[in-house]
Amino acid sequence: MLDPQDEVFSIRDILDSQLLTSDGRRIGRVADIEAEVRTDDGLILTYLVAGPQALAGRINTHLRDLFRFFFRDRFEQRIPLSEVTKFGPTLHLRGKAKDYAVGQSDRWIAEHILRWIPGGRL
Amino acid sequence: MSYLVKRGHIEMWQKSGTCIGLLLLLCILAGCTITDSAFARTTGNAGSAFAAAMTTLAYEHEGKITSAYAASSFADFQSELTGTDQTLLAQGAANTQTVRHLLALYTPAMQVIDAPCLSNACDWRTQDALLQRASQAFLEAGNT
Amino acid sequence: MKKQWTSIALGIVTAIGGFLDAGTIATSGEAGAKFGLGLVWIVLVATVAVILLVEMVGRFTAVSKKTYAEAIREDFGFRFYLLPLASEVIAESMLLAAELGGVAIALSLFTGISWHILFPFVALFVWIIIWRGSFDLIENGPALLGLVTLSFLAGIVALGGIPAQLLPTLWHPSFQQGTVADYLYLVAAILGSTISPYLLYFYSSGAREERWTGASLLLNRVTAIVGMGFGSMGSLALLVLAAIVLQPLNISASTLGELGIAMAKPFGIVGSLLFASVLFATCLGAALEVVLAVSYNIAQGFGWEWGENKKPAEAARFNLVMTIFLLIAVAIGLTGIDPLQLALFASTIISLFLPISLSPFLILMNDPQYLGKKTNRRFTNIAMVCILVLAFLVALISLPLEIITGGG
Repeated sequence: MLDPQDEVFSIRDILDSQLLTSDGRRIGRVADIEAEVRTDDGLILTYLVAGPQALAGRINTHLRDLFRFFFRDRFEQRIPLSEVTKFGPTLHLRGKAKDYAVGQSDRWIAEHILRWIPGGRL
Repeated sequence: MSYLVKRGHIEMWQKSGTCIGLLLLLCILAGCTITDSAFARTTGNAGSAFAAAMTTLAYEHEGKITSAYAASSFADFQSELTGTDQTLLAQGAANTQTVRHLLALYTPAMQVIDAPCLSNACDWRTQDALLQRASQAFLEAGNT
Repeated sequence: MKKQWTSIALGIVTAIGGFLDAGTIATSGEAGAKFGLGLVWIVLVATVAVILLVEMVGRFTAVSKKTYAEAIREDFGFRFYLLPLASEVIAESMLLAAELGGVAIALSLFTGISWHILFPFVALFVWIIIWRGSFDLIENGPALLGLVTLSFLAGIVALGGIPAQLLPTLWHPSFQQGTVADYLYLVAAILGSTISPYLLYFYSSGAREERWTGASLLLNRVTAIVGMGFGSMGSLALLVLAAIVLQPLNISASTLGELGIAMAKPFGIVGSLLFASVLFATCLGAALEVVLAVSYNIAQGFGWEWGENKKPAEAARFNLVMTIFLLIAVAIGLTGIDPLQLALFASTIISLFLPISLSPFLILMNDPQYLGKKTNRRFTNIAMVCILVLAFLVALISLPLEIITGGG
């Protein structure tokens, strides 16, 4: 039974929402979701998935396999739903940017590519 | 906002799509007949370019633009007009006499475009006259 | 109170600068030279359209606190989002190449050095500004320079105003110098160069960077009307100048330098250099806006950190995308295509893609979830749909015509 105070969110609301960490950094968007079938509660959302492979999968499953071949899950991130502290068009996450792999890509690019350009360092 | 696309809707879109497509094809074909031929296009554009070159040269000597400005403009005219002779030969099959006449004027005019006289040490008026003759001839060819 | 007035002034100045760019200069110049005043009507239609659009996008971002790109991704999903994104990247990379080319040509007109040589340096200069510059610098710098556009109006006055025999061309364009295909091509190009979607992405992101709220709506409306209105005057002034000076000389303004002749006639060397200055300032401003607009679109759509007021390493993916996009435009420009012709072509392609770029926007503008009570009025919706359909149909007809009859 739904408590009248519960807000109802559909999968459509959660997909493509902005992910915001506790230190105020935008790390990406929800590309996909994982759900479990539980005998008592039906279908339960368990994980949010972000990363290029999941995004590719939204277009075509073969494309996702191709991306997996190149990226080998390095940039994929499965975030448990328990990490979400606030729901809405922006999902607020419990951790800081460095706690999530998908939040690392800005840092990775800064350290490996931008450092060669004057002014590119943090 | 999910849109349920019913089968009837798909058919409707397909039919209207075909209609619009045919209508557009008709418009394009109609447009082709009332618009100028490629030959008239080429001669018209070349005529305008020679006219612009002529005015640029005159203005430079009248002190209305700097030599740098004129030099830069002529470089652009050069890239615009180079190769027009080839295009004319390819397109002007129906008007061989006109093409010959135009080519005769094109060659000296292009020499001016390639090396315009921007100082007082050379004869810019003759150059200007060459450009003017070429411009007039090309524009007339485009209007017939 | 004073801050509000400064804000309005800056917004107007930006809008004036934003209206003119390589595309609108190219289209206005050719329009006047080829058809006299015969295309003034479409410039006015395009002006109304862009005023409506700018007001809408400002209203949208101020009330919903979302930028346009964010809203498309969140409301329509990732797969649909790829469509306007793809059309933007294709069209704007060509337009950016044309803008950079415009700056290069302006410098070439000053120095006499070939624009092909200057082109990569211009690209580097633009990159340095977006790499290190703040949003305020980018928004206001070129805009202030762009006020030089007002010299076009002075030019018309100095030439004695619009001659009486030119007035009938308002409703009966002269076709001696241009063909029907040219006319349609210019209609599409004028619409595409004025109603450029990059303006929406840029304006929307700017409104977020400046933290606009629902209280800013009046400011937004004033900026849109006055700013775009003044900008349109610059475009019309150039068209009229071209009609007065170039058409009688049989010059059809197919290169940017030729347009300077229209200012050289009344003002001599100063006039020609004023034109080159306008070209420099407006194309530079537009180049910065186009690069930022596309980068904003991508960063916001993918949910990355973005913003000009952040250091490059803080928004690494955003800055990397900016750099790559600039390199793509440089590659296009190095093919040597004349910037004026490229600007016309890019504008027509933009016109063709307008339904893809803008229909999500129209849908969002009517969504109370984002706008509460501030959704569009019926008149605005109808006007926009008509203009979109017009732009699309004209572009669809004129592009094949131009190619078949060997123009462009």
